[in-house]
Amino acid sequence: MAQRRKRREKRVVHFFDYTLLLLVLFLLLFGLVVLYSVSSYEANIKFGDGAYYLKKQIIATALGLVGMIFATVIDYHVWNKLALWVYIFSLATVCLIPTSLGREYNGARRWLEIGGVSVQPAEIVKLGVIIFVAALITGIGRGIKNRKAFGVIVGVAAVPTLMIFLITRNMSSAIIIFGIAAVMLFMADPKYLRYIGLVLLVIVIAVFAVLIIQKKAESRQGEGTGDFRQSRVLAWMNPEAYASDDSFQTLQGLYAIGSGGLFGKGLGESIQKMQLPEAQNDMVFSIICEELGVFGGLCLIALFGLLLQRCLIVASNAPDTFGALLVVGVMGHLALQVILNIAVVTNTIPNTGVTLPFISYGGTSVIFLLAEIGLVLNVSLRTRVTERV
Amino acid sequence: MSNRRRLKRDSRASREERRKREHREKRKLFRSMQQKLIIFFAFVVAALVGLGFRVAYLSHAKGTEYSKQVLMQQRYDSRTLPYKRGEILDANGTKLAYSEKVYNLILDANEITESRKEDALTETMSALSKCFQVDTIELTQYIKENPNSQYYVVKKRIPYEEVDPFLSAKEENASICGVWFEEEYKRQYPNNTLASSVIGFTGTDNNGTYGLEEFYNSTLNGSNGREYGYLSEESTLERTTIPAQDGNTLVTSLDANLQAIVEKYMLEFAAEHRGEYREGEDGVKNMGVIMMNPKTGEIMAMADYPSFDLNDPKNLSTFLSEEEISAMDDKATYDYLNRLWRNYCISDTYEPGSVAKSLTVAAGLDSGKLKGNETYFCGGKMNVSGHEIKCHNHAGHGMVDLSGALEKSCNVALMQIGEQEGKDTLMQYLYNFNIGLKTNVDLSGEARTNTLVYNPENMVASDLAISTFGQGYNVTMIQMISAFCSVINGGKYYEPHVVTQIRDSMGTTIKKIEPRVLKQTISATTSDTMREYLTNVCITGTGVTAVPAGYEIGGKTGTAEKQPRGTGNYVMSFMGFAPADDPQVVIYCVIDEPNVADQPHSTFAQEVVKKILTEALPYLHIYRTRELTEEETEELSSLNLLENPGEPEGEEGQESDAEAESQDGESEGQEGEGDPEGEKKPGSDFAIDPETGYPIDPDTGELLNPNSYSPVDPTSSDLDGLEGVKNDPSQTTDQQGYEPSTNNNDSNSSGVGAGSSIGGDSVDIQYNPDSLRGGNSESSDFGAGAGF
Repeated sequence: MAQRRKRREKRVVHFFDYTLLLLVLFLLLFGLVVLYSVSSYEANIKFGDGAYYLKKQIIATALGLVGMIFATVIDYHVWNKLALWVYIFSLATVCLIPTSLGREYNGARRWLEIGGVSVQPAEIVKLGVIIFVAALITGIGRGIKNRKAFGVIVGVAAVPTLMIFLITRNMSSAIIIFGIAAVMLFMADPKYLRYIGLVLLVIVIAVFAVLIIQKKAESRQGEGTGDFRQSRVLAWMNPEAYASDDSFQTLQGLYAIGSGGLFGKGLGESIQKMQLPEAQNDMVFSIICEELGVFGGLCLIALFGLLLQRCLIVASNAPDTFGALLVVGVMGHLALQVILNIAVVTNTIPNTGVTLPFISYGGTSVIFLLAEIGLVLNVSLRTRVTERV
Repeated sequence: MSNRRRLKRDSRASREERRKREHREKRKLFRSMQQKLIIFFAFVVAALVGLGFRVAYLSHAKGTEYSKQVLMQQRYDSRTLPYKRGEILDANGTKLAYSEKVYNLILDANEITESRKEDALTETMSALSKCFQVDTIELTQYIKENPNSQYYVVKKRIPYEEVDPFLSAKEENASICGVWFEEEYKRQYPNNTLASSVIGFTGTDNNGTYGLEEFYNSTLNGSNGREYGYLSEESTLERTTIPAQDGNTLVTSLDANLQAIVEKYMLEFAAEHRGEYREGEDGVKNMGVIMMNPKTGEIMAMADYPSFDLNDPKNLSTFLSEEEISAMDDKATYDYLNRLWRNYCISDTYEPGSVAKSLTVAAGLDSGKLKGNETYFCGGKMNVSGHEIKCHNHAGHGMVDLSGALEKSCNVALMQIGEQEGKDTLMQYLYNFNIGLKTNVDLSGEARTNTLVYNPENMVASDLAISTFGQGYNVTMIQMISAFCSVINGGKYYEPHVVTQIRDSMGTTIKKIEPRVLKQTISATTSDTMREYLTNVCITGTGVTAVPAGYEIGGKTGTAEKQPRGTGNYVMSFMGFAPADDPQVVIYCVIDEPNVADQPHSTFAQEVVKKILTEALPYLHIYRTRELTEEETEELSSLNLLENPGEPEGEEGQESDAEAESQDGESEGQEGEGDPEGEKKPGSDFAIDPETGYPIDPDTGELLNPNSYSPVDPTSSDLDGLEGVKNDPSQTTDQQGYEPSTNNNDSNSSGVGAGSSIGGDSVDIQYNPDSLRGGNSESSDFGAGAGF
């Protein structure tokens, strides 16, 4: 009894990750400043209003912060019970894309427009998968070691992955969704071997794919590049050769990074933002490097590293498996997007449209990312300090 | 109980144990998760560090190369932003000329070939053919042959209405690419032919040709703007736009309505006489009308015949048949166009004829050589240093006073006046009237006449004699009307001008061109007297035909025989002003060689003037001062020009009266309205010539002018006396070099140098004083343009 009381007394002390909150708020603010710098030129030309993108992003950010507060305040265990519904709801939004609600921008049909607000279902699905997989793994418990459980989780992840890939033709989002589930599964499953095998398999397939595409291109020689994914791979390997078309964006991004120097040209002084179409989307990191230099770019990478480190701490101190898995999912999401985005921008991997969390322009993305951060903060809030010690 | 308790305890223990085990399991799972978390995080950090290195590497290894690349691909090119040429407005703000933005369709073949969309070519081509009706087969061929071309002008000067549907099609269809539009301005003349020679036209190069467009070319033109990129000190690219400076707008004193009235009646006259005498030729060789405000020198209307379409100035199809056009070589076409485009009112010279008598009399009065109470006897001819110079009325006018000399347009009286004045006085006054000088009217192409007037030093008696009635020297219409304005407006010679205001592109007036008095040619008293005499001309004299119903006007007729003399070619003219007591408008009509069997009747010009004034004066708010006759009322009603047709009957037919009374004819031509002096009223009992419809004089058997009942046979010209005076048509006016002269014909008698033309194309007659002197020793002087 006494022990219990003692515990109750100590439970009052909650751990709340202010560092994480501060980091996120800083990234948001930094993102808005950079967004204005990058997008004002194009916004001015297209809409006659340099702050066009900034205004929309500020509204989305405000909404996201409200969502974050909700996610922080409402006990995350609620999501354990609602997980299946969240999952189904998120998949339903994807199914709406082929209907009349779907919207096409820049030739890609990936958006829904409801009441004048456009939403990207892929971002909703990411959150849905995080919550559902976490709940599923928690429910399976020890049984996670079984092959059957492994298959179930992979299946649960594969459904939205395939849906996103087939309906929206958005491979990068599909990869990230599957990646999130894979990361969560990897964390929950004590085994190692199958994951090492999985990674090796992916690498081998990738290498083979690249080799085949290269071979094909050589035999075709100048008869057009065929499928755009293939051409992106070719452009990745030799950006200069495809400078006018496929690797135009990548190459211009590289020019931006290269021309920035150590400390950059100064905020707002980018030249390349006039060359790069929609620089505020995927290529925003290259403009940051151009304006703020290698130093600025590395600082941003370090900030993301710190953010992930906070997630790591919250996850490893989470009060229960569900909480820990939620945080792991968010962490995996953030890590995958940051790494893929910067890898694309630096032409380390072939071009695929991944946005940089909190910095790139995109309303849905920032709203759901903030909701995810809210979940992490929620988990941190429910971490009892005593247990930590 | 105990059993149960034990059981309970057992179950509790097992539960405790299970929970413990679960907790252990959980811990184990947690530990494994923490382990994996660390591993995952390590991977992430490794990846981030790797990417960081990649960024650093890119910057370090490729920095210089990429920086160069960035600067290289910047657009330093500059783009010209075209300016808008200023407008030309009439006095009421009606647009006579303006510039409209048009678009050139540019094809970027490279963008289409490089496009990722497979249907880019077909979609773009179908949109182009739909919106612009271009030949897509040809274009596709072009793209195939020049896949890297980035600038190919497909179609020029497309109006915005055609561009707009294409732009919206492009908005909807992402496959349409490689097409853009270049801006340009196109000159538009909404009234097509109206005031064509005065306005002039402007080609694609914003360079005005003829008229206001040429004279005010630099005022109308602005300066092009420019959009360009440059590197600032910090090696950052700056793009700057210097906006185009639009041209200034001209506000003219022309009145489009007046102009239209004038052109309507000129056209009517020309159409009436088309092919009438000279088979297949136009109604007149040349024709010009100027209306001027005598109180300011502002030109209210100015027109020549034929006019041309300013929007399509090179189109000859309205004037010539297709065979004729194809038969012309380049030079012939060029010559024809130059004739068409030039402004007869300022560029062509001619002998003014009797209109100049008003200048001679004004000179005499103002110099004091004439008192105003002189009388002269006209016996029909006069002998001047051996030459017999006839009056147009071979029977003579009898005794005439000064006013009568003008009313009857008596040559003999004028020659006597000339003798009284002396050549120095007359020439001084003609000089004061700007004869021989440019008026500096603000229109391009004004002829120089300084070599086409007499030099007092070389003048002989016969020169003086014929110059009193406006033969022997050449003038332009604008010179004549400007001089005449000063005769009747109190002696003030205003510089004639067309433009009254210059406005900038925002509509702010930046320059006002006020009426400019250049000199006092005669005193105000002399002017009053002249106005009185000239009014008499239109009451009882030769000018009655020109009087519009209900108005009192003044004026002077003119008929000048053209060089070479005796061919029956005349320049008919009438100079009038209205109202007679306070002239608001001066009108001058010149008809060069009307296409009629019998030319020398100033009534041709008078009728045109009458028609114009009948319509123009009410428009100008100049009201009738006399009551209308029944006939006139009917006539006006038929023209819809009468406010209340039921006006009381006017006095007896003014015109017929005047006709009957008028006894003189016109100057040199023996038209003129008058019968021989003192003769009976022209009878209706005259036989009518069945061929011409003219009455036949029962006494002489000559054909008579149906209006004036004066003989019409050109062979009995009053210029008979000038037969010894030979012509040198080779002397031509200086026409600013528009056209090389080609006429060096007919210098038959004296053989005076014929090769001395000065690059004009005027065929205007020239009087050669050398031949009068019977020698050609001084022909070289003449040929050199030393003048008379």
